[in-house]
Amino acid sequence: MKSRPVFVLLALFAAATLLIAGCAQAAAPTAAPAEPTSPPAPQPTAVPPEEPTAEPEAEGPCLIIGALHGGPITDAGYNQAMHEGVMAIKANIPCVEIIEAENVPEEAGATSTMENMIQQGATLIIATAFNHQYPALELSQKYPEVTFEHAGGWEMGANFANFFGEPPDTWYMMGVAAGLMTESNQLGFVAAFPLGWTLTFINAFELGAQSVNPEAQTVVTYTFSWGDAAKEADATNSLINQGADVITMHVDSPATVISTAESRGVYSIGFQSLAAQQFAPEFWVSGIGYTLGDTLTWLSSTVMDGTWEPIFLRCGIADGCMAMAPFGPQVPQEVQDQVGQSRAAIEAGEIVVFSGPVVDQEGTVRVAEGEVLTADVMGSVDWFVEGVIGSPK
Amino acid sequence: MTLLSILGVLSSAIFSGTSLLYTTLGEIIDQRSGTVNLGLEGVLLVSASAGFALTSITGQPYLGLLLAMLAGGLMNLVMGYLTVTRRANQLASGLALMFFGFGLSAWIGRPYVGAKINGLPRIALPGISNLPVLYASLFRFDLLIYLAVPAAVLVWWLLFRTRWGLGLRAVGESADIAFASGRNPRRIRYQALFAGGLLAGLGAAHLSIAYAMNWTEYMTAGRGFIAVALVIFSKWHPLRAIGGALLFSGAVAFQLLLQSSGFQISPFLLSTIPYVVTILVLVLWGGTRRHSAPASLGRVYQGSE
Amino acid sequence: MGDRAEAAGRFGFLRGRILEALIRYGFMVLSALVLFAIILLIAGKDPIQSYRDILTSTLGSAYGLSEVLVAMTPMLLTALAVALPSRIVLINVGVEGQLYMGACLATWGALTFSGLPAWILLPWMIVLGMIGGSLWAFIPGLLRALGLVNETITTLLLNSVAPMIVSFFVFGFWHSPMDTNKTPNFVPAARLPTLFGTRIDVSLLLALALLLIFWLLTRYTRWGLEMRAIGGNPQAALRNGIPVKGYVIAAMCVGGAIAGLAGMAQVSGFYGVLLANFSRGTGYMGFLISWLAGGDPLGIVLTSFVVAVITTGGNLLQLTRDLPYAVINILLAFTLFVVLARPSLRRRRRTA
Repeated sequence: MKSRPVFVLLALFAAATLLIAGCAQAAAPTAAPAEPTSPPAPQPTAVPPEEPTAEPEAEGPCLIIGALHGGPITDAGYNQAMHEGVMAIKANIPCVEIIEAENVPEEAGATSTMENMIQQGATLIIATAFNHQYPALELSQKYPEVTFEHAGGWEMGANFANFFGEPPDTWYMMGVAAGLMTESNQLGFVAAFPLGWTLTFINAFELGAQSVNPEAQTVVTYTFSWGDAAKEADATNSLINQGADVITMHVDSPATVISTAESRGVYSIGFQSLAAQQFAPEFWVSGIGYTLGDTLTWLSSTVMDGTWEPIFLRCGIADGCMAMAPFGPQVPQEVQDQVGQSRAAIEAGEIVVFSGPVVDQEGTVRVAEGEVLTADVMGSVDWFVEGVIGSPK
Repeated sequence: MTLLSILGVLSSAIFSGTSLLYTTLGEIIDQRSGTVNLGLEGVLLVSASAGFALTSITGQPYLGLLLAMLAGGLMNLVMGYLTVTRRANQLASGLALMFFGFGLSAWIGRPYVGAKINGLPRIALPGISNLPVLYASLFRFDLLIYLAVPAAVLVWWLLFRTRWGLGLRAVGESADIAFASGRNPRRIRYQALFAGGLLAGLGAAHLSIAYAMNWTEYMTAGRGFIAVALVIFSKWHPLRAIGGALLFSGAVAFQLLLQSSGFQISPFLLSTIPYVVTILVLVLWGGTRRHSAPASLGRVYQGSE
Repeated sequence: MGDRAEAAGRFGFLRGRILEALIRYGFMVLSALVLFAIILLIAGKDPIQSYRDILTSTLGSAYGLSEVLVAMTPMLLTALAVALPSRIVLINVGVEGQLYMGACLATWGALTFSGLPAWILLPWMIVLGMIGGSLWAFIPGLLRALGLVNETITTLLLNSVAPMIVSFFVFGFWHSPMDTNKTPNFVPAARLPTLFGTRIDVSLLLALALLLIFWLLTRYTRWGLEMRAIGGNPQAALRNGIPVKGYVIAAMCVGGAIAGLAGMAQVSGFYGVLLANFSRGTGYMGFLISWLAGGDPLGIVLTSFVVAVITTGGNLLQLTRDLPYAVINILLAFTLFVVLARPSLRRRRRTA
């Protein structure tokens, strides 16, 4: 009977447990439990973000932060950008201890990672993946003394808040660059999912391209995955075969899309992280990346000195939360100037990307003349502007 | 729908189908000798990560390719040890190997995620470069793609025109009878597994080094199981596997083309078609009768040694 | 007196067998641990600390133990879904697909009937889940009963189809701009209640109950006897009037139903939402557990527990030892390998 040996197996495991657990009691624990005392921290002003001065050396970490990423932190994309932001906290505040986890599964799979972090003493959890929102929210109700910051969502709670950059404006600028660089007037966009924010980015991109090149069209293909390299290669090739000569994307890592475009001799525009440029030494146009290091540092310092409040934090390129990559070697000076001009205009408020009238693919007016699309609506957009080819669903 | 886009579908099908073809060829050899390798997914992952890692370290994609082949062969030898020497259940061993591959590939590949590599160089056949740039870049293939169909022919020749292949197929039909006629079923199965592993490693290498030029955990996304299905679809025949691989990967490319032409076919439903067709083929043409599966497929050879 | 002596003799024999099993399986456990320790050493991690981490994070705290039970629940169900058909020598490798279809249908229930109160909705979802899985297993069962195609192949193929059907719905009818690769979250009424504030949901109790029923069924009922007869010799069973074809279809359907229940429990209890590709090998793990345990219910419980300890322990390992979580699969695989590598010792050598 086969169950008996398994029974023995279990008995042995149990015996080993008792033995080792017994030894574990005698030895020191594996991670130092946190003593979240608040050493005298420099008081930043209420306006984000600001670079606090370095911390004086305290006993034990002054703050233990648990950061979780949905993908690998070296992906030259979103996860790397978030990782670098988290690491910047430590660079600015050396006494902070950071526990980091990558490839954390989605939804409920993330809960045990966060629980483990909290048991290791974390009092600030930074959940950077979109799908970690609800597990983090649930845990925030279970642990009211721990602060939770989620990237890119919308939920708020007493100890749960949200932070992110403001991509749409930067996408407009990239659209300007693309519209000027394209010769076929076909721009390609590799998207992960028909997510409201993705559609907003695509719309902003197309509007930017149209502003300098009324005939520019953006073709959209979906991979239905945040990071499936083979599908991204498929999608990129397909777009190029349909005539697109500038490719950009909204997936976790731009590496495969850009490498594929580069191998076909087609321009590419990066997103998520500035590290993407290395994949396209020749045909790089420009790119946008998240640079949230200062923001995260400021948030951490407010947690440390007790002034943290749940804020729906959004900051754009003007605040340093997003950055534009250097132009590639084939981008002519006039294009660079034009992009610079549109950037200045946006920052000065002369151009508002989604100010009416904005018409969708079927001709319906989505934003009337004189109105503006607000940020809270942008996340639930389910339409494409005229000039975008593809399905918004 | 322009000529460029139609040729593009063909080009995409060839590009993404190559890794599938190599993998399928490897599994055909294994199954012809009587071993079902459900661990193929794990084998592919380990080969892909190892090959990518070496390419990243040395900057030499061909070296990475060789390592990927070797890794595939070694993984399959583990399968051999379990199923041939220790006579363990083939399905269970394969699945255990799959989990092993999940873990090992993650460990090997971790330092190299997001690394930039020089992919396998793409060579244009003479004459192609005279075409306009976009057309030309459709048909600049790397070495593995050029060798894919020859590889299928080679496998066909090995299985059906050599004594080794005859012995292999004999073992796949009935190991006991093969033993009685003087062959060594154990040795043959090991050889088949190693050869199959080399081919699977090639398939994996093409994915990580030549096509996606990237490595992430679970990158193969089910290709191991697709290959097992393809083996059945091509009725264990290497030349039919070429068409099968083109069909399976062409469906994806075709769907992408349709997306931007205004037709809305769900990519998911389209990808189920090859499997449904395979089941229909089996029902109509016999999944348990002759001219199909090797009779000894999945049976562990007990032997009397 | 004679009886006592006989009993003592038997006991002595038993004690010898237990000792033999202890040594053999102790050696297996040790081998797996040592092999993985080698991997850890190569990776530059301290093996003793790592094992300590695994054990303290799983068995060393109430939270850890609860997480082990959470991980164990789907394994119990998927293993049972394999074990039942295996009684009549049916190889159900299709649990992965049946799980997805059960989750799919249950999700339909959750999203369509979200206004119903929990005490109606949840049983309805359970039924839907079981129907979904059962339908998916019916096709291979029918094909096998008709003698057309081996169920191993068909279940394997359908495994690949099911996640795509799920994705079709997730990204189609059940999608909103706020969702990435998931449906909207389930309303609280559609979520299986949890126990004592942990993440363990009632499906654990269901699973244990089903295992108990399975054990009673095969041991003490006529069905169990007939199934054993079929498993032993299908031709003879047929000649004795046992409806083999009916049993084949029924066994597959019931197995599929249990797998569908596992899927429903995953989306309703654990996740609270239907995520595309939410299962990474759970069905296959169930196959392995059932095979390791020989289809025996008690063995399934114990094996699932051991596997759950390993996978849960990996969660902490990635934080303290900085190892990717996926590496814990290596320890899992080594454990499987050493058990797989043993059978030839137990099988009698065929005399020449």
